[in-house]
Amino acid sequence: MQLFRAHILICSGTGCHSFGSGSIKEVFKKELEKRGLDKEIKVVDTGCMGLCAYGPNVVVYPEGVLYCTVKVEDIQELVEEHFVKGRILKRLTYQEVSSQTLVQDYSSINFFKKQKRIALRNCGVINPESIKEYIARDGYFGLGEAVTRMEPFQVIEEIKKSGLRGRGGGGFPTGLKWEFAARAEGSPKYVVCNADEGDPGAFMDRSILEGDPHSVVEGMAIAAYAIGASKGFVYVRAEYPIAVKRLKLAIEEAKAMGLLGDNIFGAGFSFDLEVRLGAGAFVCGEETALLASIEGRRGEPRTRPPFPAASGLWGKPTIINNVETLANVPTIVRNGWSWFAEIGTEKSKGTKVFALAGKIKNNGLVEVPMGTKLGEVIYDIGGGIPGGKKFKAAQTGGPSGGCIPANHLNVPIDYESLTSLGTIMGSGGLIIMDEDTCMVDLAKFFLDFVKDESCGKCTPCRIGSTRMLEILDRITKGQGKEGDIELLLELGTQIKETALCGLGQTAPNPVISTIRYFRHEYEAHIRDKYCEASVCATMFNSPCQNTCPAGIDIPIYIDLIAQGKYKEAYDVMKNDNPLSVICGRVCHHPCEGRCNRAKLDESIAIRDLKRFATDMLLSEGDLPVPEVAESNGKKVAVVGSGPAGLTAAYYLRKAGYEVVVYEALPVAGGMLAVGIPEYRLPNDILQSEIKILEQMGVGIKTGVRVGQDVTLTQLKEDYDAIFLAVGAHKDQNLGIPGEKLRGVLSGIGLLRELNLGNSVDMEGKRIAVIGGGNVAMDVARSAIRKGAKEVHVVYRRTRDDMPAMNEEIEDAIKEGVKISYLASPTRILGKGGKVVGLGCIQCTLGDFDSSGRRKPVNVPGSEYVLEVDMVVPAIGQQVDGSYADGGFKLNTNNNGTFVVDPKTYATNVEGVFAGGDCVTGPDTVVTAIKAGKVAAQSIDKYLGGKGVYAPLTPERKLSAPILEEVRERVRMASLDKDERLAGFKEVELGFTEEEGLREAGRCLRCDIR
Amino acid sequence: MELVSLKIDNRLVEIHPGATILEAAEKAGVNIPTLCYMKDINKVGACRICVVEVVGARNLAASCVTPVAQGMEVMTNTERVRQARRVNLELLLSDHDVECLTCIRNQNCELQKMAEMLGVRDVRFNGMRNLTPKDTSTPALVRDPQKCILCRRCVSVCDQVQSVEAIVPLSRGFKTVIGTQFNDPLLNSVCVQCGQCALVCPTGALTEREQVEDVWKALSEPGKHVVVQTAPAIRVSIGQEFGLEPGTVSTGQMVAGLKLLGFDRVMDTDFTADLTIMEEGSELIERLTTGGTLPMITSCSPGWIKFIEHFYPELTDHLSTCKSPQQMFGALAKTYYANKMKIDPADIVSVSIMPCTAKKFEANRPEMNSSGYKDVDYVLTTRELARMFKQAGIQLNKLHEEEYDAPLGISTGAGLIFGATGGVMEAALRTAYELVTQEELANVNFYNVRGMRGIKEAEVDLKGTKVRIAVAHTLANARKLLDKIKEGKAEYHFIEVMTCPGGCIGGGGQPIPTNLEIREKRIKGIYAGDQTMKLRKSHENPAVQQLYKEFLGKPLGEKSHHLLHTHYENRGRFKRAE
Repeated sequence: MQLFRAHILICSGTGCHSFGSGSIKEVFKKELEKRGLDKEIKVVDTGCMGLCAYGPNVVVYPEGVLYCTVKVEDIQELVEEHFVKGRILKRLTYQEVSSQTLVQDYSSINFFKKQKRIALRNCGVINPESIKEYIARDGYFGLGEAVTRMEPFQVIEEIKKSGLRGRGGGGFPTGLKWEFAARAEGSPKYVVCNADEGDPGAFMDRSILEGDPHSVVEGMAIAAYAIGASKGFVYVRAEYPIAVKRLKLAIEEAKAMGLLGDNIFGAGFSFDLEVRLGAGAFVCGEETALLASIEGRRGEPRTRPPFPAASGLWGKPTIINNVETLANVPTIVRNGWSWFAEIGTEKSKGTKVFALAGKIKNNGLVEVPMGTKLGEVIYDIGGGIPGGKKFKAAQTGGPSGGCIPANHLNVPIDYESLTSLGTIMGSGGLIIMDEDTCMVDLAKFFLDFVKDESCGKCTPCRIGSTRMLEILDRITKGQGKEGDIELLLELGTQIKETALCGLGQTAPNPVISTIRYFRHEYEAHIRDKYCEASVCATMFNSPCQNTCPAGIDIPIYIDLIAQGKYKEAYDVMKNDNPLSVICGRVCHHPCEGRCNRAKLDESIAIRDLKRFATDMLLSEGDLPVPEVAESNGKKVAVVGSGPAGLTAAYYLRKAGYEVVVYEALPVAGGMLAVGIPEYRLPNDILQSEIKILEQMGVGIKTGVRVGQDVTLTQLKEDYDAIFLAVGAHKDQNLGIPGEKLRGVLSGIGLLRELNLGNSVDMEGKRIAVIGGGNVAMDVARSAIRKGAKEVHVVYRRTRDDMPAMNEEIEDAIKEGVKISYLASPTRILGKGGKVVGLGCIQCTLGDFDSSGRRKPVNVPGSEYVLEVDMVVPAIGQQVDGSYADGGFKLNTNNNGTFVVDPKTYATNVEGVFAGGDCVTGPDTVVTAIKAGKVAAQSIDKYLGGKGVYAPLTPERKLSAPILEEVRERVRMASLDKDERLAGFKEVELGFTEEEGLREAGRCLRCDIR
Repeated sequence: MELVSLKIDNRLVEIHPGATILEAAEKAGVNIPTLCYMKDINKVGACRICVVEVVGARNLAASCVTPVAQGMEVMTNTERVRQARRVNLELLLSDHDVECLTCIRNQNCELQKMAEMLGVRDVRFNGMRNLTPKDTSTPALVRDPQKCILCRRCVSVCDQVQSVEAIVPLSRGFKTVIGTQFNDPLLNSVCVQCGQCALVCPTGALTEREQVEDVWKALSEPGKHVVVQTAPAIRVSIGQEFGLEPGTVSTGQMVAGLKLLGFDRVMDTDFTADLTIMEEGSELIERLTTGGTLPMITSCSPGWIKFIEHFYPELTDHLSTCKSPQQMFGALAKTYYANKMKIDPADIVSVSIMPCTAKKFEANRPEMNSSGYKDVDYVLTTRELARMFKQAGIQLNKLHEEEYDAPLGISTGAGLIFGATGGVMEAALRTAYELVTQEELANVNFYNVRGMRGIKEAEVDLKGTKVRIAVAHTLANARKLLDKIKEGKAEYHFIEVMTCPGGCIGGGGQPIPTNLEIREKRIKGIYAGDQTMKLRKSHENPAVQQLYKEFLGKPLGEKSHHLLHTHYENRGRFKRAE
């Protein structure tokens, strides 16, 4: 036998094959030949390794180095580096998501580490076209064991005890099914392998057949021996040509070696196997339809009972097992039932193969022990969600299953747990969805699939699924009606209860499941004609506008900017957002996260462009003051001059109301004025926008605290309506010892002092800021500017979990802030009543919480002390309840926020409305602006008006051709580090006109269709 | 066999194992509504109207296909069940062309009745509809997929009863339709036009091609002499359309009604049935004596003719060359009758009332013009005639009986029994016996060829000449005999084949419903009619004798050959019509 010093294993499964693994193999061979290495290094075709997203996969032994996305043009270099120079070619190795270090042996990569490969034991390891390699891995030993040493009933007993359940999705105990068939009267008996894999996004069975066909052949032979069958069929889709080819080859090889055919192992057992091709009807995965198809009839299900075990193919006892189930069988016989039964959970034994698809980094094939948490599969193995997007839900069971939302990421993967969540194990399709997925649209997708794949025999499936689809379709087109959700549920229940076969009985599952977990999305589609994920295109103009809480017509104003029409652009912004200047600087710009340009290169710098337009206007003098309608004689009091209050005041005043804003602080602007540092939002810029309101005639009374200087009851008497927008200014305690020590300052309090011009001595100090939000970043960056010697941010989770804006985190790091991730404060140490340190403990990430993020778990014994002089908790704020005077009682939640009608923002007291942080808790500026706008609208209606605001209806046409080639996003210039640290000068410098025009020209104009 | 006991609506019932819940319910006296179900023929569980609640089961069960189990508890009338049935019916209605008032099946539609029965007051679903256009390609049948509810009854009948499989489900999902191979027009298919599908269709999706308007027009056209013939089976079935018990013989009233409609002469296909016996009997004797192709098989059922032309073209030599009685009548009406009445055959409109849709096809076969004109101009089914009566305000049961017109209205009991399976054989035997033996047949009743058994075999002793015979009805049974012939194992001399179950009394043009029970009643009517006839042997028919004397000369003579005999073609399994 020829020995080789190295082996190159190239995946030749369908995925990698379509990436060109065939030609890679040829080029490898030529390259090795050219260098005279072909006698030392062997090139081998193998099956699926699993990292399909990075195909073609190539593994080089003996080191076990995994090379990904190998291209023909890489091979010369790869051979040169790896085999000639003996160096790993780093640029082609798999890069771990969380670390930059090189993992040499692929089995140490996270993707593989948590897997346990039983059904896939030989996939990616052996050449699937060589029976000898299969036998070298103990192949056919299970069959040998069974037929030479065991009685059929003992084989069945073994399988029963192992706890193996049907991997096709139903989860019926395999041994029990065999027992029924073994006991059933009738002859001959048949074994059928169901390889009619059809779930969208699922390719487990295909990969097994392609990567290890003998495991299925052996499994079937064992099954045949157990039930007394002598004939078997593999029903496989014709769309799987590689699988069919290898399967047929495997059958031939097995026959040639006497492992199939007559008198196998000389034990008097005969078994013959035939491949039957299916034409690709999804319903033929249903066992009775599959049988009909094998018999040559139309692939249509029939009612069970009788079950195939009693009356199957041509009316004879037949067992039908899925590919993965059968691939497990030989290992159980070989290793004994107890080996298998030790893996998995109490009721779900062994492993399960999943095809990871959708919005997940490591798209591919994985096999995990039953009981593995869904979150582990998604994050540890799957590598999480790409593009910094949020996980929304996972779909299991394909069109027959349901979705699992973020708050159930801890669910262990086993039959019963998934069922209790309203979904099913299914055959192994696992589709991951992120925030860009609309759940109504998702349900529509699956139903559309099912309505086409229904065999058309029974009424509920044939017509019902179409009717459900039509209801969904109208919902996604903004034509949903009240009662549609109920109608969907009623129809869904009827279909489940009355459809003939499994396909129909499960067809409504995706709808029922998405209604169960995402009913609010359905309601938003029906009532508000709003698709949060910006998918249902008839309901919005562009994803950016749809995502903007204020609903600004972004593509229109960007287009106007691109034409140099800055005033017109400003007017467009202003129509929906009276605080455009401010938002151009501080908005958290969710719009950019949905920008379609990101799919091409990078998202448009929407916020920067907004600022650019206002900068251009400001450079020419004061901002224009909008016209105000004639006074209508009605008076509205606004309590609080933050973004919500100012916005409401603006719209109401514009509509002719007399508006007075009461502000407790000495300056107007609320959190804008005292919560955001000067270097992000200069005070003169803020005031220039507030000035417009004053010029419009809004009265702003600063330094007047409602509840102290004037009572709410009084305001109620003096005004026709009140809008409460008092914000959330009260600090939240950490709840650890030492909070009363000198040197502990609340984050929001500290920012307030700085913004009001009061001095806070931080010069030369070491400061620990606790928290991961924007306030923590603002405090840390302010402290650096105030001369702090060291600034630490202590945060419990990882950077990906931080709620602060990414650019804030980047800037903070750039400016010298040190961030300790996965650290939790335990106590504040003091000496003489003064802070001397912060006790911290290291955390790791544990289970998933209800938001889908992993909970930090303290690592015992990992306590350490950060020596600091100041501790600044910045972990959130609450509503200050001092506005109340007892005159009337406003309903509040436990945390002090107001209870309001979600549509009108009306409180329980007539004429009193509330919005902004005092309703939502600490939130973003633009969300507060939306609240102010909605509240103004409802106050106007309450006072007999017709609405203070009308959306624009601009003409949507191109003013210039769309730039479809890659264009880098224009980055706004900023101060260098020294200049930043010298004071509180604005960091971001704005665009030059050339930059602004260039950036505006990148817009893809998604609003034009 | 040990019985299974179960409870249906709390009533204990015992039934054989393997029975369905529906059968058990029937036994328990509980009525479960069904739509797609057809006893013994269509048990597919497609419509899901018959769902019931089985205590302990997760889903509802379709009672027509769910086997009973020991100790099972079934509830057939719970809110859950009523709701499910209503929703499923709503769904069916949402994909149905609900033009009930203008539908040919108005007031005789099972879907309509079901909507009424289940109290559906609102169809909450609308949207996509199956918009497959009507198939009007054949002269006999019209398929309207927009009225189809995909119950599969037609498919099952076509496959199981007739073994033709002309129509099958095509496509998948919502697009599923019933259609022919390659989704061709029905005319291009192996459809034999028997109309058994139309007979079982619960809605107006499969109907005869109506020609009532054409006949009304002919009747009102000045200068036209409109003659009508009525097939033997009409007189025992037409009454059903007017509330009479199936099988009631209403010959005289029917004749009176036809006269009221304005037909110039009302005559009887029974006459040419007698004539057929003369020709066919002579042909058999000739074959027996001259070593012709045997067994000889009857040729009066046009569905059967088309069937053998498609599926066994190599066996058409076995067919008698005799035209069917309808076509013999047509040929004579425009020759013998025209001469006799001194009417220009061009002015004669020949109408036939048939229990059969295939007769419409037959009349349109290009070779059926031996008179020099189209021998039969219009073929109406029993259902169409009933509609004409209703349109004319005729209440059949209130009419006084009238007599057929001469000369083609005179017939014997032998002609009448052509309407039932075995009838042609029995009529032939009555004549053959006397012609061969020259002795009078003492007992004219050949009971062993009567009745609903699928294939009936007998050996008849014609005084030493032993004639082995077989009688088959339904094409599935006929296929069995043909296969036997092909294998050389059919040692028969003479075979009767009728396309439809029970023979013409169960034809595709008969009143709806037509089921086993009704078929048996009509057969009874036929033989009762035969019993009351003075003449019961075809060769005794004086009008037939006169015909030979005045016009034809002798059986199998030259004129007979020209007017009363025909030939067959090879249609093949996949051949498309031009």
